[in-house]
Amino acid sequence: MNKTRKTTKKSASVSTAKAPAKVRVATMWLSGCSGCHMSFLDLDERLVDLFKLIDILFSPIVDTKVKDMPQVDVGIVEGCVNNTDQEHELKMLRDRCKILIALGDCAITGNIPALRNQFPLKDCLARAYEQAESNRISCIPNDPVVPGLCPKARPLQEVVKVDFSIPGCPPDADVIWYVLTELLAGRTPQWNEKNLRYD
Amino acid sequence: MRSETMIATKKISLTINGKACNGELGQTILEIARANGIYIPTLCYLDGLTAWGGCRMCIVEIEGSPKVVPSCATPAVNGSKIITNSPRLQDLRKATLELLFSERNHICPMCPYNKGDCGLQHQGYLHGITGIRYQYLYPALPVDLTGRYFGLDHNRCILCTRCVRTCDEIEGVHTLDVANRGIKNLIIVDMLKKFGASETCTSCGACVASCPTGALFDKAAAFRGPLASCQQVLTTCTECPVGCGLKVFVKEDRIVSVWGDPDSPVNRGHLCVKGRYETWAEPRERITQPMLRDKNGKLQPTTWDKAIAAIRKAAKDAQKAEMAMLVAPRVTNETAQTIKKFAGKIDRIGMYVAANEAALCNKPSFSADALRNLEDADAIIVVGAQPSRDNGVVAARIRTTVRKRGAKLLILHAHKSDLDKYANVCAHAVSLEGKLWDRVAEVLEGAQRPVLVYGLDATTPVGMTVMERLIRIFENNPGGQKLVHIGLPVSSNSLALAGAGIGAIENIGPWLDAKPLKLLHIIASDAPDGGARILEEERVPELLEQIPCVVVQASYRSALTEKAAIVLPATIWCEKSGTITNFEGRKLSLRPVLPVSGEAREDAAILENVFA
Repeated sequence: MNKTRKTTKKSASVSTAKAPAKVRVATMWLSGCSGCHMSFLDLDERLVDLFKLIDILFSPIVDTKVKDMPQVDVGIVEGCVNNTDQEHELKMLRDRCKILIALGDCAITGNIPALRNQFPLKDCLARAYEQAESNRISCIPNDPVVPGLCPKARPLQEVVKVDFSIPGCPPDADVIWYVLTELLAGRTPQWNEKNLRYD
Repeated sequence: MRSETMIATKKISLTINGKACNGELGQTILEIARANGIYIPTLCYLDGLTAWGGCRMCIVEIEGSPKVVPSCATPAVNGSKIITNSPRLQDLRKATLELLFSERNHICPMCPYNKGDCGLQHQGYLHGITGIRYQYLYPALPVDLTGRYFGLDHNRCILCTRCVRTCDEIEGVHTLDVANRGIKNLIIVDMLKKFGASETCTSCGACVASCPTGALFDKAAAFRGPLASCQQVLTTCTECPVGCGLKVFVKEDRIVSVWGDPDSPVNRGHLCVKGRYETWAEPRERITQPMLRDKNGKLQPTTWDKAIAAIRKAAKDAQKAEMAMLVAPRVTNETAQTIKKFAGKIDRIGMYVAANEAALCNKPSFSADALRNLEDADAIIVVGAQPSRDNGVVAARIRTTVRKRGAKLLILHAHKSDLDKYANVCAHAVSLEGKLWDRVAEVLEGAQRPVLVYGLDATTPVGMTVMERLIRIFENNPGGQKLVHIGLPVSSNSLALAGAGIGAIENIGPWLDAKPLKLLHIIASDAPDGGARILEEERVPELLEQIPCVVVQASYRSALTEKAAIVLPATIWCEKSGTITNFEGRKLSLRPVLPVSGEAREDAAILENVFA
């Protein structure tokens, strides 16, 4: 896939005049279980059709590692904002993309990672690193390299502006397909009780 | 109620979304819209409760008015033009939903009450809510799991107060209420108690059935799958003579939940703790195989053939005069017919009922429309009955009539119960002299629709005197109002069985002792105690010891089955078919909800096997 992507990218950049430019996409995995990305991969053979229209330039599920996040058209984010590093990355993506899509319930509501919001951060850390039965060395990580946890886990829209949301835990591949193809066709996805699922 | 129906209703007509609709004066916009097939979203509205107007989902526009109004609480006006789905209304409803979603934990992946059960989720889907514009508050709210059958998770509560209104208006106990203001609003149990410590909660579970989200939930139903995915079977409760209609939710041959059948003319959707929970959410040791007592005195599983052969052998060794049958007052009318069919083979057949119940059953009189009469009553006199303990739905009807319609309540010669606190006159031990009867006459003076509910203890000498006095009061009443009598037994089918010729036994000891017995067949059926209650009767345990062959046909293991020589497994309420007759004289159907457990058989089928 990596190879194909590279070549298409090359050909796209070479022959911009002939074929319409592909939509440049970045995806990001914040505090989530990666289930939404897995659901994206569940598009299966539809991915082939999708990649005729889009290029994924930056993502946890592509092999190329880029040092600097490129300018993209669409940013797709799974998971909520749990630590300072995630906040920094999300803000950077927001700066460098035109449309930001929150993918899945963690990105939209905070979902499971936000369960900790009912408790003070201090208690959460103590429970995990000091009181947990499996933890023999009682020590809360304090290396400056480790990004600090935010006081609350926040859904994306509390940190940056979000343009579209695709709910679901995880969203069904069909729903992801519907939203992406509608947006690529220049239409606004329409939601109703038939295609909407929160779980 | 009666006076209301006397007034001729005035017809009105109005336009809703351009459609001409007819209704009656006094109806709300929502009622007329629903009757005319126009959908208006609701969350806090529940048919049968007073309108609350709290959720603001049902807002509509009235032409000529700049305001939007809640259609559930706004009476319709003749000639008005209503709009239910303008873009403005949609935007307002969406904003309301987003505020609801933002306030507490309404995050579906964490909640078992999704996929069709949740009103909030459903409205979110209908309005295309994908994300919210407000900040989530994530408050830390408690979860009350101290109740025996259900829990309250404040995190999922939307404060629609459907539970509060149900508790107050249907069960009539007002255990639930709302405390604090604004963002601190909270549903409370009594005065900030937990369910487990509540003095007023009857565990009827009506609040659970009325909750539109997962805030109130059945413990036994949790994580067994959404109710929307269950099969629904309608049957009848056999726990008391009221005979409430049940709507049983079944999935994969397991009961997920039991609700009242809203279309039942008896209970109209309401249930008490017995029907709603005790029959399926209590651990009981089920008998699923026939058992024979071996030489060492232990019950051993056996086959039906061997068990029946053993009974037939015992019957062969016995004279007709040495055989008797005891019947639990809960078998179906069809089983009663089968019993009568074989009556010629047995010396005596009797029904074992509760203490003091025999006199009530042996002169069987059904009280037609008893529940409706209770609802319409302006004075209710309870003599010798304990509806709060024995017939929860009757107690609920009494409470609501007294509390909501202002009926007088007199409790005479009855045990203490929660009804006492609503009573105008309450005398547990009745003295036949003195001021009590002046007070009774004073309270009952002018009563237009008096109802007398009499139970088991009304058949005692004191109870009968009390009844006579009451009847005399109404004879002397210048208004000459007729006193409606409602006889309230405790056993589910005792009136019909006695009517079918299976007489109730007053004292089991002498009945057993009348002639020496060689074979005693006890049909305990699915009595929760396995029929063990008869062991509490005087001399019964020792008399049973003297009978060589005691056959117990029961669904649950008990002290009685431990005394049996042969135990036969009987089906339970949710496996039975047939009919029972309730205390109003209605013939009500039982339908099998689950497949029969193990080798159990229906009571009548067992009798056919044994005696045919």
